[in-house]
Amino acid sequence: MTMAATLLAQEEGANPLIPHTYELVVGIFSFLVVLFVVGRILVPRIQKTLAERTDAIEGGIKRAEEAQAQAQVLQQEYRDQLAEARQEAARLREEAREQAAQIKAELREEAQAEARRLVEAAHAQIEADRQAAFAQLRAEIGRLSTDLAGRIVGESLEDEARQSRIVDRFLDELESSNAQAVR
Amino acid sequence: MSAQERRPENDGRDFADAMWSVPSSLLAGMAIYGGLGWLLDRWLGMSAFFPIGVVLGVVLGGYLVYRKFGR
Amino acid sequence: MNALTVLLAPAGDQFGAPTPEELFNLPPIIPGVYWFTKPVLLAMLSAVLVIGVTWAAFAKPKLVPRGVQNAVELGYMFVRDQVARPFLGKDADRWMGLLVSVFFLVLVWNLMGVVPVLQFPVASHIAFPAVLALVIYGLKVYLGIKHQGGVGYFKNMMFPPGLPKPIYFLLAPIEFLSNMIIAPFTHAVRLFANMFAGHMLLAFFSMVGFWFLFEKLTPLGAPVGVVGVVMTILLTGLEIFIQYLQAFLFAMLAAMYIGGSLHPEH
Repeated sequence: MTMAATLLAQEEGANPLIPHTYELVVGIFSFLVVLFVVGRILVPRIQKTLAERTDAIEGGIKRAEEAQAQAQVLQQEYRDQLAEARQEAARLREEAREQAAQIKAELREEAQAEARRLVEAAHAQIEADRQAAFAQLRAEIGRLSTDLAGRIVGESLEDEARQSRIVDRFLDELESSNAQAVR
Repeated sequence: MSAQERRPENDGRDFADAMWSVPSSLLAGMAIYGGLGWLLDRWLGMSAFFPIGVVLGVVLGGYLVYRKFGR
Repeated sequence: MNALTVLLAPAGDQFGAPTPEELFNLPPIIPGVYWFTKPVLLAMLSAVLVIGVTWAAFAKPKLVPRGVQNAVELGYMFVRDQVARPFLGKDADRWMGLLVSVFFLVLVWNLMGVVPVLQFPVASHIAFPAVLALVIYGLKVYLGIKHQGGVGYFKNMMFPPGLPKPIYFLLAPIEFLSNMIIAPFTHAVRLFANMFAGHMLLAFFSMVGFWFLFEKLTPLGAPVGVVGVVMTILLTGLEIFIQYLQAFLFAMLAAMYIGGSLHPEH
């Protein structure tokens, strides 16, 4: 209503819809200056700053995310390593146990062998000692017997051959009498 | 033409487009067909074509907006 | 308005509502320099103000905004998110310079209407909105021809796809008139008319208040004067909102025209 009224009232005066030339000139110039300074110089600057700000914020988030991812990878790695180490330890224990068992078995074997050897050696020694003792005893007995016999018979048995013959005979008699006695 | 991808923000654009083109389409329709009717009236010495033209123009303008944005 | 004037006229001795002639046909500030009138002065002042404030804010922008930068950034964000992005999408940043300049300049032009002492909306002289609308119009046609080709631009404009063939014959002239003549005209006139009417209203009510409370204070006239003052205050608030809204719409339509030329959608 206001518009219509004013437009009607304006009919006889200067028509407000007809622009003044000087205002057009001032308008276009002031707009171009604003467009140049604000639109051409200042807006690109703020756009750059806004982009940087977005970058900074997004960069921060991105960095945090990266750090987290890295931490997770690291954790996973540690966990893997730990599991591996555990497995390794178990494996080593098992191996050690096996080795120990093997060594024990070997040692037992060896010890048994040694013991057998010792026993055998001892047996051999005993046998040898017995033989030696037996031989010595036989000689001693022979000598004693001849001595005894000589004394009894009163006869000197200087002759070796004779002596030995007598001893042998004596011994043979002894042995056979022995055998008879044992039987 | 419609190869241009439709982003969500284009919905607002469509709506605003429609809002702004309703009055100007109606006005243009009235002006063109009213004017045509008026010329016809003057030529034939009648007075029937001007109102017919105006109504036709409004109808066409409305139809145009409806077909462009109404669906 | 005329009715109101008639009603009020007998109450005050010789109260006359301000006529558009008085309000808008202003004499030169310096006698003899015919072109240097108040609107011209305010237009220049507005340009200086826009440049000055924006320069203070954006000359050396900080990553963390402070003070003026914070405030002007708010305006920048508003233009970007409400004007540029909805209509230009990914092309928004390239046109921000133009749109910010248009929005800020028109906003300051309009706000001159409520700044005490100055109190004249620059855009209520049609020359100023017309110049801006003309620049946008030229840009729209230029971009349309550049991006769609000379024939393609007019074909896309006048023959929107999806209509029955014979109807094009009837509709094409409407589209042409609507896009090429009515659109730029209403672009300028919408802003102009709003500022013009707003200024008339404010001037009328403040005149009523001034007349009945100061010039001719009478028991009968005093309540009328109070109404005038209250209305002036209320309308100033409304006017600030409308001034901002019109600046926004002007920039929005500019973005819409540019977007339409870059990407014909219909």
